[in-house]
Amino acid sequence: MIDPLQASVQIASSGLEAQSTRLRVVSENLANANSTGRTPGSDPYRRKTTTFTAEMDRAAGVRMVKVKDVGTDQAPFRVDYEPGHPAADPTGYVKLPNVNSLIEMGDMRETNRSFEANLQVIKQVRSMVSMTIDLLRS
Amino acid sequence: MLEAVSSVISSAGELAKTSEVINSATPAVQPGAATVGFNNVLEQVAADAIGSIKAGEAASIQSIHGKLSAQKVVEAVMSAERSLQMAVAVRDKVVQAYQEVSRMAI
Repeated sequence: MIDPLQASVQIASSGLEAQSTRLRVVSENLANANSTGRTPGSDPYRRKTTTFTAEMDRAAGVRMVKVKDVGTDQAPFRVDYEPGHPAADPTGYVKLPNVNSLIEMGDMRETNRSFEANLQVIKQVRSMVSMTIDLLRS
Repeated sequence: MLEAVSSVISSAGELAKTSEVINSATPAVQPGAATVGFNNVLEQVAADAIGSIKAGEAASIQSIHGKLSAQKVVEAVMSAERSLQMAVAVRDKVVQAYQEVSRMAI
């Protein structure tokens, strides 16, 4: 059995890792908010979603968090009337990604908060460990 | 880590007891018994510290090459820092105990 304080750092670190992946996906969504297809009537960029899962770490005997998978959002695409666009279908409509900037911004903020919470755990562990080691000094 | 701290503290206590016994000038003292336990603790702490410091260094180098995320590096370096602090604290304790013994009035 690993030292609980050491385990806390590892768990918080796995949280940081998971939130980083989530931020990567959010940034992909935001950057591709206007990426359309190339051929007439083709599908544009489809919004990606992140799902998390608890994973048992056998060595430490604790449950870490991990990105389960990066899936796609099945919501319908936005359409815009733009007949001159290369991706416009015969009726002149272009399909645009189902990315909503506001939702992505909210997601980003939530990612930031989770990341901060995990960092706070690491800070707390560090201060507790150094208080304990300080017992040896004096 | 905490186990190590408590064992170090108890070993230091044993050492102190040994020195008390020496102080009272009893001939039937066996300082060897306490010394072995303390040596073992010291050895284990040192090995721990060296291992995690090495891991921290390796993680830092990998991060320079862009192979490891910042989180992993921080984790490894923090663990190394912790082991180093622990090793330094134990060393200070050992030196202190030695000085206590050497200052003893004979």
